[in-house]
Amino acid sequence: MNNLPPIISLLIFPGGLFLMAMGLAFEWADRKLVAQFQNRIGPRWFQPLADTVKLLAKEEIMPAGVNSTLFIMLPVVAVAAALTASLNVPLFGLTPVYSFTGDLVVALYLMSLMTLCMGLAGANSNDRFSIMGATRTLTQLFSYEAPFLLALLGPAIAAGTWNISEINTYAGNNLWMVVTQPIGAIIAIIGLMGKLELPPFDAPEAETEIVSGAMTEYSGRGLALFHIGKDVELVVGLTLVTAFYFGGLANPLFFIVKTLGLLVLTAGLQSLFARLRIDQTVGMWWRIGALMAMLQLLILVIFKGFGL
Amino acid sequence: MTVEAHTKTEKFIVPIGPQHPALKEPGHFEFSVEGEIVTGASIRLGFVHRGIEKGTEVRNWTQNIYILERVCGICSHVHATAYVLGVEQLAGVTAPPRAQAIRTIVGELERIHSHMLWLGVAAHEGGFDTLFMYSWRDRETVMDMLEAISGNRVHYSVNLLGGVKYDIDQKLTDQFLKGLEFLEERLTHYMKVVTTDETFVGRTKDIGKMPKDEAYMLGSIGPTGRASGVERDIRVDSPYAAYGEFPIKMVTDQAGDLQARFIVRIKELYESIREIREILGHMPESELTVKVPRRIPAGEAFSRVEAPRGELVYFLKSNGTDTPERIKIRTPSLCNWSSIINYAVGHKLADMPMLLAGIDPCFSCNDRSVTITKGGVHQTNWTWEQLRQYGIEYYR
Amino acid sequence: MKIGAMLGDIFGSLFKKPVTEMYPFVKTDAPDRLRGQLYYDPEKCSGCQLCVKDCPADAIEIITVDKVNKKFVMRYHADRCTYCAQCVESCRFACIAMSNKDWELASASRKPFEVFYGREEDVAFILDKANQPAPAEVVEG
Repeated sequence: MNNLPPIISLLIFPGGLFLMAMGLAFEWADRKLVAQFQNRIGPRWFQPLADTVKLLAKEEIMPAGVNSTLFIMLPVVAVAAALTASLNVPLFGLTPVYSFTGDLVVALYLMSLMTLCMGLAGANSNDRFSIMGATRTLTQLFSYEAPFLLALLGPAIAAGTWNISEINTYAGNNLWMVVTQPIGAIIAIIGLMGKLELPPFDAPEAETEIVSGAMTEYSGRGLALFHIGKDVELVVGLTLVTAFYFGGLANPLFFIVKTLGLLVLTAGLQSLFARLRIDQTVGMWWRIGALMAMLQLLILVIFKGFGL
Repeated sequence: MTVEAHTKTEKFIVPIGPQHPALKEPGHFEFSVEGEIVTGASIRLGFVHRGIEKGTEVRNWTQNIYILERVCGICSHVHATAYVLGVEQLAGVTAPPRAQAIRTIVGELERIHSHMLWLGVAAHEGGFDTLFMYSWRDRETVMDMLEAISGNRVHYSVNLLGGVKYDIDQKLTDQFLKGLEFLEERLTHYMKVVTTDETFVGRTKDIGKMPKDEAYMLGSIGPTGRASGVERDIRVDSPYAAYGEFPIKMVTDQAGDLQARFIVRIKELYESIREIREILGHMPESELTVKVPRRIPAGEAFSRVEAPRGELVYFLKSNGTDTPERIKIRTPSLCNWSSIINYAVGHKLADMPMLLAGIDPCFSCNDRSVTITKGGVHQTNWTWEQLRQYGIEYYR
Repeated sequence: MKIGAMLGDIFGSLFKKPVTEMYPFVKTDAPDRLRGQLYYDPEKCSGCQLCVKDCPADAIEIITVDKVNKKFVMRYHADRCTYCAQCVESCRFACIAMSNKDWELASASRKPFEVFYGREEDVAFILDKANQPAPAEVVEG
C-alpha cells in the first residue's frame, strides 16, 4: 500500500486518525476481555470514544508553579512519538510506511520516549502524588527496558537484519519464533506488559496509593492526549511482538487474529496477579528478567555461530 | 571558609484522604515519607460525624432501634442487637429462645457478609482486582439469604424490643443450607489463594507485624488483635443471645502480620458457617416476641457484643420516660487506629493502603466524640455553648 | 508457592456467561418479604396512632375525618419512609402491609411521594379541605 501519498498515510490511513481509532478499539477489547475473565460484562463498544470526547470537552486546569510550556507540550510530544513509531511497524498487516535499516532501534526509542514524557510530566507537576508517580515510572523504565530490548533483539539476530519489515518477512517464512526462542518470547510478552503499565506492573499508576501517578494533575485535552498515546502504544507494541514472535503479519486478517490472540493472553495475565510493589518489580526484572534475556541471547549466538 | 552540608529537614508529607481513591470513606492520614519509606504517620477523623447519639435523646425507644441501626451500614444488625439487649436488660425481660437464635443467625450471616466485603476491599487496595470481583460475586449469595429472611440487603431491621420480627421456616432453612455449602467451598478456595498466590503473599507476608505484647498495650481488639494472639472475643468471654447454648470457638493466630489477619478472618467465617448450621439444626421452639413496656424503668445498662470488627459497647441510661436520657456507643474500629500509627513507620508507602484496610476500618462507626485530656480542667459534662466555644478555639 | 492461584476461576470464566443481571431488560422476582411501598387498609383502623408514634422517620400521619364512625385517612410520605416495617408490627389490627411488588419508586418530581390512603369519600373530603384557600391573615401595622 505504499502508493498512497505520504500525507494520507501519515495522517489518515494507516497512521494518524485510523491508528487512533484502532487504539480506542483495542482499549475496548482489552477492557472487555479483562471483564470476561472476571465474570462480568465490560463496557459497551463506544466507551473509550465517549471517554475521549468527554475529556476533550472539559476545562483544562493548570496548577500553579509549573512550567506551562512543558505542561502543554509534553502530552503532544508523547502522542507524536507514539504515532511516529507506528510508521515503522507493519501496522494492520500492510508493509510499513517508512522502513529503513535500523528502524527497530528508532521505533523502540520512540516508544520509550513516550514513557519518558509521562515521567517528565509527573515531575513537572507541582504535586507530591505526581512526583512519586514520576519516580516510579522512571524506575520502572530503567528496569524492564534492558530485558525487553534484548528479547526483541533475538529475532533480529535470527533474521540477520535491523529492519523491522525484513524481520517481519523472515518471521513469516520460517517457523514461529515463539517455538524456536521460547525464553525470549516470554520476556517479550511480559516486558510488553511492563512497557504499557498494565497490571501487575501498574505501580506508577496505582490508583489506590498515589491517585493517578504522573497524570494526576492533567485534565481535559492533556489527559485525553495521554490516553490516546497509551492506546496507540498498545497497538504498536502488540504489533511488534506478534510480528516478531508469532509468525509475521502478512495481511490484515493475520493482523487481527494474531494481535487479538496476544491480547487475550495479556488480558489473562493482567487479571491473574496482584500489583507488584516498585521494589519488587525492579528486583524481579534485574534478577530474573535480565538473566533470562542474556541466556536467550547466548543460545542464539551459539546457534548462529554453528551456522544454524 | 567552611562549607556546611545541609540536610533536608523539611518533611515530605503525603496526604491520603479525605478524598482519595484508596479510602471508601473520608478520613485524613498524613504520612511523612523519604523516598518510599514512611517515617511518621498521623490520623485525623471526624468527617462523618452525624450527631446520632444526640439524636437518640429526642426519639422514643422504638424509634431508636432504627436510627442506631444506621450508625453503620455493614455492621447494622449488631448495633441494633446491642441496643435491644441493653433495653431488655433495663426493662428486666429476656427475649424468648427462638428470637435469640434468629438474632444469632442473622448476626453470623452479617459477619460473613462483612468479612467477604473486607476481603474484596483489601484485595483491591493491593491491586488484585480479580479477587475483589470474585469475592463480591460470591458475597451476593449471603445478600440473597439476608434479603430472603428480612426483606432488605442492608439494614435488615429484624430486631424489635423484646424479640424479632421474622421467623425462619423450612423453605428458608433449605435455602440457607444450600447457600452455606456454596460459600464454604468458595471460602476454602479463597483461603488457598490468599496463602499460596506468590504475588499476593509478597504483598502481605511480614507486612505490619505486630507482636502480642504490643497488641495488648495498644489495645487492639477484634480480628486485628486476634491475629497477633490477643485472646479476646465477647462471644466466648461473656456470651449473649444464643451463644450460651451454641458456643463459638475462638480463632487466633500468632504471626501478627497482614497475612495472619486474612487467615484469621477467613477461619472465622468457617466458624460462622458451622455455627449457623448447628443453630438451624436445633432451632428452639417458642414465640417470637415478649412484651416490653413503653416506659422503660430508670437505670443504667451496659451491653457488649462482638461486631465483625471487634467489641462493641453500648451504655444506656434511662430516666423512666419513653425517651432515653443518654446512649453512648464505643465502636471497635476506634481502638485499632493506634496500632496503625505504630507499625506503619518503616514500611513503604505502597503498603499503606493495605495496612489501613487491614484493620477493617469502619469510618461511619468511628465518629463518636472522644475527649482527650492532657492536663488542665477535666470536664465530663459539656453544655452546648462550651462545646461550641471549644471548637472555635481549637481551629483558631 | 503458586503463581496464579486464580487461574482456574479465570479460565473457567472465559466460557461462562457473565454473572451480571441485565436489569432493566431482565427483571428477577423480588423475595416474598421484600419491604416495598406501604399499603393501608382503612376498614380495620381504630385510630390509635401507634404507627405514627413509632415511625422513626415521621412518614405517617393519621388524619381523623370522623372519630366516632372510625373514618381515618392516612397521609404517607414515601420519600421520608425508611421501609423499616415498624408500623406493620406496631399496628394491632394488621391495617398496614408492605408490598413486595412495588419497589421501583424513583420519580422525577415530588408529587408521587405524598400518598393519601383511605375510603374514597374520606380522601376526597381531605383533599377538598386542603384545596380551600386559607383564611385571610391579619397583618399588624
